[in-house]
Amino acid sequence: MRSLAIGATGMQAQQLNVEVISNNLANSSTNGFKRQRAAFQDLLYQNMRRIGSTSSDAGTIVPSGIQIGAGVRTASVYRVMEQGNLTVTDNKLDLAINGNGFFQILLPSGETAYTRDGAFQLSPAGEVVTANGYKLAPNITIQANAQDITVSPTGQVQVKLAGTTTPSTAGTISLAGFPNDAGLEAVGDNLFLATPASGSATSGNPGSNGYGSMVQGSLETSNVNVVQEITALISAQRAYEMNSRVIKTTDEMMQTVGQLR
Amino acid sequence: MENSIYISLSRMMSLRNKMDAVANNVANSGSTGFKQQRVLFSEVLRKTSMTEKVSLVHDRAMVRDMSEGPLSATTNPLDLALRGKGFFVVDTLNGPHYTRAGRFQLNATNQIVDDDGLPVLDRGNRPITLPGGTTDIRIAADGSVFSNASPAAPVGQINVVSFNNEQQMKETGGGLFITDEKPQAAPKDTRVIQGSIEESNVKPVVEITNMIDILRQYQGIQKVIDAEHDRQKTMIQKLGRTA
Repeated sequence: MRSLAIGATGMQAQQLNVEVISNNLANSSTNGFKRQRAAFQDLLYQNMRRIGSTSSDAGTIVPSGIQIGAGVRTASVYRVMEQGNLTVTDNKLDLAINGNGFFQILLPSGETAYTRDGAFQLSPAGEVVTANGYKLAPNITIQANAQDITVSPTGQVQVKLAGTTTPSTAGTISLAGFPNDAGLEAVGDNLFLATPASGSATSGNPGSNGYGSMVQGSLETSNVNVVQEITALISAQRAYEMNSRVIKTTDEMMQTVGQLR
Repeated sequence: MENSIYISLSRMMSLRNKMDAVANNVANSGSTGFKQQRVLFSEVLRKTSMTEKVSLVHDRAMVRDMSEGPLSATTNPLDLALRGKGFFVVDTLNGPHYTRAGRFQLNATNQIVDDDGLPVLDRGNRPITLPGGTTDIRIAADGSVFSNASPAAPVGQINVVSFNNEQQMKETGGGLFITDEKPQAAPKDTRVIQGSIEESNVKPVVEITNMIDILRQYQGIQKVIDAEHDRQKTMIQKLGRTA
């Protein structure tokens, strides 16, 4: 019976759904993490009685035939790029983006990666780097005798050097924007890479048209809503149970056939 | 002689199809834009003698419930849901297909495409291409697409069509439908909603009760076949004795 296999596709789909939800929950306190969602689609259909086939000599046709579906498949697991909450840390190099845009990070391989995680630190050479030591692009170097760092909402990094009163500009942080943020590829370590689905990056200054503004001393937390994930987990679990119920019912029907004398 | 067994068999066969349809509904209870399906049964009369007719059951057609599924907010700019009658149009090698699953994204050439990479068509049946440098996309209720890279005028207008007879449409999988009917512009009150998707309209409670019903009917029919079997056995024994 087809319903056995159909029930199995349903269980597999819900299993993947639970896996996605558990990854969201595991990352509920990861800086700049964007939650994922599994999207499902119906599989192929089998024609039992073709729509539009002739049903009489007078030329009447079947208005709606019988098509039995073959179950479900996962269409995509995509990211919801909604902004996470901003938490104040008062750390000078903790930067959050309020609005659109990504920080650009230069990977050791020479590629550019993108992140919303603004927990930056200084390297021994005074460069602004991520927690993994990857440089911010375009790179900003803070002089060793700097006493204070300020980052303006438009991304201007100014430092106050020892013995001076006027701050000097160390550089400007630029942001990258994409037509379709959800199409970015996650590579771990809170980093994303551009893909054909995201479109190519355009860079701009924070606060300009289409880009968010920079908030110093704050971090963007993950956008995982724990309550939402738990309710999604409950409905995924129930959907899993219902699909197993389909398999059980099919089993009982087959058992009934076995009992025929 | 064997009629009651054949009648029972016809019901058992049709119940199997019904179970398959229910299984497909349950499996797709989380599929974007999925519409639940039902098998319609009808009576088929067969003449068995000059005066006698028996009625068999036959699964006649598949109907689908075209009611709207609940909206689920995702805040993704290219997740579109429809409120009211209508379908989005996507282009395939086999001509236009129609869908209510508005999980769209961009491809390498900045065209708006669906999950399988099929381009979404505008009012003039052309793909919609976003200008380079777009970082913010706004889609109005009438399907007009605005980009922050060229804010003056819409980049295109997503085509939303409707059909007089939605029951005549046919699923092709992947949330897509086809039909021979010529599409017409969707009614004015159909709205495109950005940042949301339409969930499937499968009602799990109804499916589970259907499933219980199918199983019990199936078991009931088995009893009918058993009883008929016993009747024939008794008949053969009794007739055999008198002979």
